[in-house]
Amino acid sequence: MVSTSPFPEKIPSIQKAIAVLWPSFATAIVATGIFFSAFHPKDLVPFNLDIDVSPLAAYSIGFFLFWLLGIVSSYATMYFIISNCQVLNKQQGQFTK
Amino acid sequence: MQSQKTNTGEQGLYAEHKKIYPREVSGYFTRLRMLSVVVLLGIYYLMPFARWDDRQALLFDLPARKFYIFGLTLWPQDFIYLAALLIMAGLSLFFFTALLGRVWCGYACPQTVWTEAYLWMERKIEGNRGRRMKLDKAPTSAAKIRTKALKHTVWIIFSLWTGFTFVGYFTPIYELGGRLFTGDLGPWETFWILFYSFATYGNAGFMREQVCKYMCPYARFQSAMFDSDTLIVAYHPERGEPRGSRRRGTDFEAQGLGACIDCNLCVQVCPTGIDIRDGLQYECIACSACIDACDEIMDKMSYPRGLIKYTTENAAEGKGQHILRPRVMVYATILLVLFGLLVSNLVLRIPLELDVIRDRNTLYRETRDGLIENVYTLKILNMDEQPHRYILRAEGVDGLKLVTDQEEIFVEASSVYEMVVRLQADEFNLEQRSVPVSFHLQATDANHLSIVEEARFLGPGKT
Ligand code: SF4
Ligand code: SF4
Repeated sequence: MVSTSPFPEKIPSIQKAIAVLWPSFATAIVATGIFFSAFHPKDLVPFNLDIDVSPLAAYSIGFFLFWLLGIVSSYATMYFIISNCQVLNKQQGQFTK
Repeated sequence: MQSQKTNTGEQGLYAEHKKIYPREVSGYFTRLRMLSVVVLLGIYYLMPFARWDDRQALLFDLPARKFYIFGLTLWPQDFIYLAALLIMAGLSLFFFTALLGRVWCGYACPQTVWTEAYLWMERKIEGNRGRRMKLDKAPTSAAKIRTKALKHTVWIIFSLWTGFTFVGYFTPIYELGGRLFTGDLGPWETFWILFYSFATYGNAGFMREQVCKYMCPYARFQSAMFDSDTLIVAYHPERGEPRGSRRRGTDFEAQGLGACIDCNLCVQVCPTGIDIRDGLQYECIACSACIDACDEIMDKMSYPRGLIKYTTENAAEGKGQHILRPRVMVYATILLVLFGLLVSNLVLRIPLELDVIRDRNTLYRETRDGLIENVYTLKILNMDEQPHRYILRAEGVDGLKLVTDQEEIFVEASSVYEMVVRLQADEFNLEQRSVPVSFHLQATDANHLSIVEEARFLGPGKT
């Protein structure tokens, strides 16, 4: 497995960005759907503050929060895998340039 | 699948991206594909304008938390139906993939459909493959800027229309259109129109086959759904090789050549930029462009068609075709069962729901007449598109009395009605501290609209 692992520093950054942004985007859609079919945005205003948010705004903000969460998680996963690969590559003496 | 090449895929994954200029093709499968593109785009752009009973036929009304699907209105409580629909969509993908390979990718995937549309606009404005390549290589000139600007303007207008239509599935589109013209669009509506437009513009205009290669999970796990009887696009090396150019009408077999004239047309038409002659590759979206291209060459050379064709691994090896195999039957059975369950549940679905919440502040209280009393808040959800009158009953304890201020409860169409009711019971009839009771709600004007909801009745218990 290690011998075939590509040098992670050669993965174009656009593909790294896709690998982080895209799965979290898809997850956020599902999460938003499940979350808001269980909870009404009206019941979610923190500390019973009297803020008037339109439902569409609430859904959108919820979606972005879920997306952000997913991004953090995906990014952490990618970071661990890449740093792991780098260590392994070094150990194998495959670390070129 | 054994014949699937993985190493080219892996290298491709980390290779620098080269812009692909798919050459135009014509032929049977291309016409089929164009038909599919036109029909699907037509449905997408026209559907939000369709009406049903004075409302939008297909509307996922997020602000009102109701989904209208033709004659059906789904509430958040009906989430399970949507989940079932999604599961069925996923299973269908499995089923059709096992049977027909990547037909979805080649003919129906939004990514393919919109890419075709954008490619069509590009061709109309920038010209055919050769001219597009020349234009991109050419030094900047006024003419080049004009052509490019025209293309992007057309693309952007089309994208904006796409984004507007998309949001029209979530907010009533006629009102949305009205607000658009009077400049009263809400900030989030504007945002989502732009967001979706931008995504369409980027995916169909620029990312194209890269979406299939790097973003699509289906492309990656499709091999798990494939077997040797799955329909694939394949080149027949035993007939084609050794490839080589030759003059028309010469006896190529005498020259030691196969049927492939190495014209490279199959590579040039490929939207994902692969050479199908290298074998089945995960990048191949089975769009069949190379089939049409090669068939045309075969016709020109007066060779029989089908050097590249739809086939299965078994058929290509002369082992015959097996359509009904266990895998397909299993997928089909699960799909049919799910479909049956969904339909029967939808037919039997009672558009009425009752939520009972016991007053949390007091356990119970004693009335002046010495009865034990519990207070409940009832929420009646009339999910029907007609208003209804209901009669409420409670039972579970001997001599249980229901105290409300209404004989009949009237609830408007598609709305929620909240009311407070009290239950009273004699202490002697209460066996325990907490006994189950049930509320029965029955519509007076429709027999099938009835529902029972369980609750607890608290008391001091037997002493
Ligand atoms: S289009 Fe047909 S003949 Fe031409 S290179 Fe491809 S396989 Fe060979
Ligand atoms: S190899 Fe042929 S079928 Fe596959 S994507 Fe390319 S043109 Fe389409």
